[in-house]
Amino acid sequence: MSQLFEFSDDREASSAARVRALEALLIEKGVIATDSVDVVLKHFETMAGPFNGAKIVARAWVDPDYARRLVEDTPKAIAELSLPLGMTGAEGEHMAAVANDANVHNLIICTLCSCYPWPVLGLPPYWYKDPVFRARGVREPRAVLQEFGVQVPATKEVKVWDSSAQIRWFVVPERPANTEHLSEEELAALVTPESMMGVALVEAPAA
Amino acid sequence: MKLQHHLGGIENLGPVNTEKRVFVEPWEQRIFGIHTVMMAESAHLSDAPHRYPVDTLPTAFKSNWTWASLRTGAEDMQPFEYFKYRYYEKWLGGISQFFVDQGYVSAEELAEKTAHYSAHPDAPLPDRPNAELAAQIDAYLQNGDSGYHALDGAARFRAGDTVRIADPEAVDHTRLPGYLRNKIGVVDLAYPGAFSYFVSTGVDGIGAPMPVYRVAFDAASIWGPGKSEPNTTIYADLYEAYIQAAD
Repeated sequence: MSQLFEFSDDREASSAARVRALEALLIEKGVIATDSVDVVLKHFETMAGPFNGAKIVARAWVDPDYARRLVEDTPKAIAELSLPLGMTGAEGEHMAAVANDANVHNLIICTLCSCYPWPVLGLPPYWYKDPVFRARGVREPRAVLQEFGVQVPATKEVKVWDSSAQIRWFVVPERPANTEHLSEEELAALVTPESMMGVALVEAPAA
Repeated sequence: MKLQHHLGGIENLGPVNTEKRVFVEPWEQRIFGIHTVMMAESAHLSDAPHRYPVDTLPTAFKSNWTWASLRTGAEDMQPFEYFKYRYYEKWLGGISQFFVDQGYVSAEELAEKTAHYSAHPDAPLPDRPNAELAAQIDAYLQNGDSGYHALDGAARFRAGDTVRIADPEAVDHTRLPGYLRNKIGVVDLAYPGAFSYFVSTGVDGIGAPMPVYRVAFDAASIWGPGKSEPNTTIYADLYEAYIQAAD
């Protein structure tokens, strides 16, 4: 058993060499091309990422009607905004938003793997994929949230959304107090991926 | 029975990891990219609603590769190794093994090439770009691969129905979180339409188009009142094969 948890000293260097070797062989064999992986990575820098989700949340904060439409028909509401192409693309074919409010705190999880709404949030951060979060998040969400620095009072309902079929969930966090003077763009800059998965609150900028 | 099917709810694992980066090592980006290219080239996409031209793509890749392939591999891992290895380490192991098993590369040439890049980490990749493949990758990322179908007939359950979650025989791959087996919930929404899954999971029951339900569970009814936090509801999206009348 104990041997099972040992790693070689060159753990990262050996993975790096192995993935490079695999990519080179796949190019040599005509399975992929030299630029294929870079095309994927570029998509997540320019087209799909939390920069889209932040704009959606900021719009919901400044326009209560939009906030309502966003929860009722998420793809349609997203299509109203001028976002990059692909908002119903890979891992966003069926997205749904849930909104935090005075009575409800939402937490998104994928206990079976790592389902995540790519077009609006990009790729999942490490914490979301980690088995400990996935194991504990459904049993003791408040304790988990506390470890992320979020206190949810017992009077507030916690809703946990386990992404086990086609829907990719994200959270519309609550707008922080004292942000009335901020523009939509300034509001978007406050929104983090963690807040759109429910493990963080959005903080107002320090005065 | 697989630990990976029953991750949700395991106790005594210690604090969560709050690492916010997506990739914690640069090499992880490359295996993520390889996997996503494979999904964009997957043979099954010729039948996808978007009708991708994968039949005529200039690639030697002729296999199906979907999320189901990656997930099945992860669920098939020795459970302690599943906990031992980091997320993209599991991907690297599973994807390398797939290419060897399917005969795209041999274990020997992979070992040889790995030794080469170990000795020369900055050695370049072969220079063979391909615009047609790049266009397909972009098309796949922008249009996706939905399992949506028009519903043929009526959904068996409606919002408000109390249902019992099925407990099918455990197989290689499932989309039924283990902690929900045999539990009682209430249908919150029957999603319009029907949804297929990438593969048939056999006696587990999914694959062909079927309705999907959003089912709500009182956390106390799953973990027991003494083991549960108060005022907590768990929602899961469940294929109809996993749902039974509560009687």
